[in-house]
Amino acid sequence: MNWTKDKSITLSRVGVAVFAALLLALDISCYWIAQWYARWRFYHFQYGALLMLSVYLGSVFGWICLWQLWKLLGNIRRGEVFVLENVRRMRRISWCCLWAALICLVSAAYYLPFGFVAIAAGFMALIVRIVKNAFQQAIDMKEELDYTV
Amino acid sequence: MEILVNLDVMMAKRKISGGELAERVGITPANLSILKTGKAKAIRFSTLMALCHELQCQPGDILEFVDD
Repeated sequence: MNWTKDKSITLSRVGVAVFAALLLALDISCYWIAQWYARWRFYHFQYGALLMLSVYLGSVFGWICLWQLWKLLGNIRRGEVFVLENVRRMRRISWCCLWAALICLVSAAYYLPFGFVAIAAGFMALIVRIVKNAFQQAIDMKEELDYTV
Repeated sequence: MEILVNLDVMMAKRKISGGELAERVGITPANLSILKTGKAKAIRFSTLMALCHELQCQPGDILEFVDD
């Protein structure tokens, strides 16, 4: 593996770590943010609790996604790219994005901006799914190539 | 319906070992084993040509089509 490839994977891992830190910060500060927002908009605190519920539910899928990405990058670093394990990880990421999109879609009923997040997450699920399909095809091609003498 | 690889038969006829044939043909013994055991999904013309050259035979002596 050359210098650029190594650095690129490291950069991706740093990106995952940054998002993990952001998610952690959101998880920790969610209570205060929700309280502040409810007070600011003169809503009842139940509204803040709903906001917290959406964030925490979405956060679960966020953590799963980040963990899968971290492991995926680990596999790529080891040179294990076109393997079934990576396809499974991408499938999980795609489903997590879809579930997060559904949560956001439901949450959009009381806080409209969640609707935009839902669209973004749904589109991301679609992209990851298509990449997963390409990987699956590549595995079949690689197997054929491996058994070509 | 399948393609049978009769490499073992030809190797026995020419009295040549797997290691020696692999070396002469320029493939790894592992790949020759894949070919002999019928696990191969494809064979390159260059490999087939080298095998025929070393075993002094025709492609049909190595590969056989079996209909169901």
